[in-house]
Amino acid sequence: MNGLPILSIVVFTPLIGALLVAVAPSRYARLLALAASLMAWALSLLLLIGFDPNSARQFQFIDRVPWIPDFGISYKLGVDGLSLILVVLTTTLSWISILASFSPIKDRIKEYMVSFLILEVGMIGVFVALDTFLFYIFWEIVLVPMYLIIGIWGGTNRIYATIKFVLYTLIGSLLMLVAILATAFAFQSTSPTGWQGAFDFEQLRAANFDPTLQIFAFLAFFLAFAIKVPMFPFHTWLPDAHVQAPTAGSVILAAVMLKLGAYGLIRFALPLFPAAAQTFAPVIIVLSLIAIIYGAIVALVQPDLKKLVAYSSVSHMGFVTLGIFVFNTQGMDGAILQMVNHGLITGALFLLVGVIYERTHDRTIAKMGGVAGVMPVYAVALGFFVFASGGLPGLSGFVGEFLVLIGAFEYSPIVAAIATFAMILAAGYLLWMFQRIAFGELSDFLKGLGHHLTDMTPTEILTLGPLAALTVVFGLFPGLVLDLVRNSVTSVLADVARQEPVVIPPQTALIAIALPILYALARVIWVARADLTGRGGAERPDSPGEPGHAVEPVS
Amino acid sequence: MSGLDLPLATILGATEAGSEGAIGGGPWDLLIPLIIALPLAGFLFTALVGRRLGKSAHLVPVGAIGLAWLIGMWVAFNALGGTEPFGEHGYGQTIYTWIASGAPDQAGAFVVDVGFFVDNLTACLLIVVLTIGLLVHVYSIGYMSHDPGYWRFFAYLNLFMVSMLLLVLADSFLVVFVAWELVGLSSYLLIGFWKHKRSAALAAKKAFIVNRVGDVGFALGIMAIFVNVGTLNIRHAIELLTAEGAAASFPIPMWIVALLIFAGAMGKSAQFPLHVWLPDAMEGPTPVSALIHAATMVNAGVYLVARTNPIFASAPDVMVVVAAIGIFTAILAASIAMTQTDIKRVLAYSTLSQLGYMFAALGVGAFTAAIFHLMTHGFFKGLLFLGSGSVIHAVHEEQDMRKMGGLAKKIPHTYRTMLIGSIAIAGIPPLAGFFSKDEILGEAFKLHFEWVWAIGIVVAVMTAFYMFRLIGMTFWGESRVDPAIEPHVHESPSVMTTPLWILAVPTVLLGLVLSLPGPPLGPLLGLEGPGLLHHWLEPVFHPGLVILGHKEAEYQLFGIDGALIGASVAVATIGMVTAWRLFGVNLRAINWRPDPERVRRLTARVPFLYRASLNKWWFDDLNHLLFMTIGGRLAAFLWWFDRRVVDDTVNDVAATTVGAGRGLGRIQTGRVQNYALGIAVGLIVMAGSFLVLAAR
Repeated sequence: MNGLPILSIVVFTPLIGALLVAVAPSRYARLLALAASLMAWALSLLLLIGFDPNSARQFQFIDRVPWIPDFGISYKLGVDGLSLILVVLTTTLSWISILASFSPIKDRIKEYMVSFLILEVGMIGVFVALDTFLFYIFWEIVLVPMYLIIGIWGGTNRIYATIKFVLYTLIGSLLMLVAILATAFAFQSTSPTGWQGAFDFEQLRAANFDPTLQIFAFLAFFLAFAIKVPMFPFHTWLPDAHVQAPTAGSVILAAVMLKLGAYGLIRFALPLFPAAAQTFAPVIIVLSLIAIIYGAIVALVQPDLKKLVAYSSVSHMGFVTLGIFVFNTQGMDGAILQMVNHGLITGALFLLVGVIYERTHDRTIAKMGGVAGVMPVYAVALGFFVFASGGLPGLSGFVGEFLVLIGAFEYSPIVAAIATFAMILAAGYLLWMFQRIAFGELSDFLKGLGHHLTDMTPTEILTLGPLAALTVVFGLFPGLVLDLVRNSVTSVLADVARQEPVVIPPQTALIAIALPILYALARVIWVARADLTGRGGAERPDSPGEPGHAVEPVS
Repeated sequence: MSGLDLPLATILGATEAGSEGAIGGGPWDLLIPLIIALPLAGFLFTALVGRRLGKSAHLVPVGAIGLAWLIGMWVAFNALGGTEPFGEHGYGQTIYTWIASGAPDQAGAFVVDVGFFVDNLTACLLIVVLTIGLLVHVYSIGYMSHDPGYWRFFAYLNLFMVSMLLLVLADSFLVVFVAWELVGLSSYLLIGFWKHKRSAALAAKKAFIVNRVGDVGFALGIMAIFVNVGTLNIRHAIELLTAEGAAASFPIPMWIVALLIFAGAMGKSAQFPLHVWLPDAMEGPTPVSALIHAATMVNAGVYLVARTNPIFASAPDVMVVVAAIGIFTAILAASIAMTQTDIKRVLAYSTLSQLGYMFAALGVGAFTAAIFHLMTHGFFKGLLFLGSGSVIHAVHEEQDMRKMGGLAKKIPHTYRTMLIGSIAIAGIPPLAGFFSKDEILGEAFKLHFEWVWAIGIVVAVMTAFYMFRLIGMTFWGESRVDPAIEPHVHESPSVMTTPLWILAVPTVLLGLVLSLPGPPLGPLLGLEGPGLLHHWLEPVFHPGLVILGHKEAEYQLFGIDGALIGASVAVATIGMVTAWRLFGVNLRAINWRPDPERVRRLTARVPFLYRASLNKWWFDDLNHLLFMTIGGRLAAFLWWFDRRVVDDTVNDVAATTVGAGRGLGRIQTGRVQNYALGIAVGLIVMAGSFLVLAAR
């Protein structure tokens, strides 16, 4: 756009907003933050208008300034359809979350809004960075404000949750840093131009890295991204973080931050290390299937509303990783669509959990009941997003899921059959939750709240309205997303197809697969013995219920 | 508010709609989408402003269905008459490209167009769905008049009509699947309509989840079809799937495709073992039971199998499975219906049983007979359900037949219409049920599925018996109505009884009309040629029948066919008379008093069968054991696993790190040189490892 660094403007608008919020009196903090996030949103929509999905150039609006020229590190931003749609998702959910924080957040509102805006900078940055080092910087920037948001404005057990979240993510991202450096080293040692371009994504993707490097670097990237997605078995930070985070934190966490991982896989892990990616694909597909089914089954027995939605996220994000690693157009298209839809729908579900929490200061499903009678608008909204999350056709969740399934079917019908089974489980945990909250007589606990139990406020409706509208629009016209990302999908699939998979000696593979299974078995036996004889370690305070008296899933 | 804005786009896009036929669709390109768009508009309007309309909330939804009925009948009339552009094979229009994954012109791209298709099969379904839909809407004005959720009920009804009409009009498997799930949604909303009732909420959820089990099969079937032939357009896909010699190159064999589609059909049409949701669905208001769980939604499975008949014909083994499951469901459900005491549950099991007949017909290859029975059953079962609603209304929301009796005189219109419906379903000529049921049984016998015929005959006895047991317990004999309610028992208003009498007309005549000029009565009257319905559906089922290689056997009224008719009429009479004898009749000529003692003696003779029937063969208990107890245990175990194994491993690693950190704390000497040394060593190790990696 005539030399204007529009992308940088989008990235740093929230930062300017954050500075303004920081210096202005606290009573303006809310409105200023909202204004800044709306500004960023409007600018991102301009990007959407200016973007040419049919252009031969994959990346557009490129801003490039040398940063550490000696090592070829530069400040390089650019978007393709994939990053663009996620940027718009980020800016949309950001203003919605800020608006949703208006009434729940009472303390330190200024600090909260500053954190939130910086979080937005980091997230947009991750989606537009085309320099691996810059990507890493943005990736880590995201961590700090989220740490604060959960740690300061979170629930009672927030410190445990936030430290777990940060440490877990940090371990992954440090390994990724090592891998970024390693690929840069490898690049410069073979490149005639030396360090030039050693961190530039567009140059790196053309390089053919040595298979051994690919294996290790891929694993490092994969671990960082898998923790973020989160994939089984790296998912356990998610329920804790969600339960402790304030509503808006949960919304952003689910709607955008989980997408950082999936985006990283598509943008960096696959094109840079295509041979290794193909080698590990079967394992990752199995892990995705486990996440899909396991997440859904565990969601069935959650007594806490937020944990239920958190585990449903594990299941839904399993579809994303499944779609990515079957390496075909339908799978990849579906994965991207599912990322967007999960952002909209799960974001909305967390908002809805927030609405009920605002009024009751409780999230225990067993205490709810009969909400439909006193909060009809809320019941309709909850029902709408429950069915959207359950993949009701006509709403956006369905198209993404179905495309992933088609992609999986092309890869292997068995894989698709297992994943399709989640349709039943999803209907199970969602409808069970919906029924216990909305139907029946008003519960005694809710009766005790009396007139505090009011229906949704206009602000709350305003935060959910756009999400509902987009859910319908993308359900009927998924082409809006699919046309935008077509070039991105074609190019990443071409990148993957460029190389043959690395062959791993079967005995190594066998050991690598057998060890974790044996460990898990041993641990099950060991822990079960301890639990059964009552010598088990003390339960953590935030994990209610023992399997013995866990709630029955369906009644 | 779900994805139903689709037909709105339809109207906007109708002018540019490309058509399959050589001749442009002209007004049809507007009229066909309007059939769906009208109820959709009614739904949106009522959902948004219905709350404020109070007792006039029904005007727009009922009006919308009325208009849709007019247009639908016009479309059906023209389609069945073979007017251009429908011709013999129907007319299709494309609205817009819904999903395009991959470049649309490229091989392997996944492209789904939303479009409508009307042929004679669709037209038959349109008649049933729209007519019964309209009557149920009208009936509901009376039935729901005292309900605070009046407007909500009509909004849901309209939403259901949208889904059901989309289901029969869609021309792509995936759009059918969309409608399939939307029908499930509207059914969920309507069964759970009385949201404060826990049992209603549970039944709604059960219906949705059990349906989802079938849907998984259907979804996989759709994927298999796409992988096999690369398109989901129904006609195109069927053509490619059944092309000469094509089957060899398919990654997924045809029998799997057929079985998966049948799984979907089993869910929606409640066939064993997915039958468990339908009886519970009676928790919904009675008009819902009539519309959805008797006349329309449950027929979706039959429609789907009929629509894809060439696929099933290419997998003859699956056809046998279809026939077996169908006839098994028929006898299973009939056996349960014989002892139930809830009037609506008897009808629900009867519906299961009749649907079983339809699947048996599909399985033996008598596709037309299945659709014939679908149509007649839609009308007489709709009548019976609406009648039961009128009874329930009369005795103040009581559904237990043990607390009824002797109602015949008090609610004469209800009694007479229900009696007509019962005679029809029992299969007594010349009412509608006789023709369709007899055709199923006769075809089964002549196509050498004698076992299907034999079981079917037994089911016919049971059907006649449980229907007249229902009539006897409800209308005949002494009144067992609660004395407090007894004086207030009253006939329903005419807005409810008129639909009953209107439904009674096709219940009496439809079989005759659709079978003439063909057998069984045609030859007798000196007429020739196939029956009307056969004539209509011949183009639809021709491809399947060609693949099956069925030859039209000559009709011998004074031979095998006459004997079969005689047999089925005889057994129906036996069933009827037995029920009369046991549960009483007070016709002027005969006055058999009901004899509870005799019933008790009879049941005591077969205690196992009686208990099995009463407890619905324990399927609900089995499901409870499997999914609630065992499944619940599994879920609880996995959650335990999640916390104690997966999560605690993470915590242990963290704890170990902290422990190591404490140990390392001792080297925190505070001397900058030591730190510098450490950093230097670290960097050298890192750089060294990079170099080693990079050099390889």
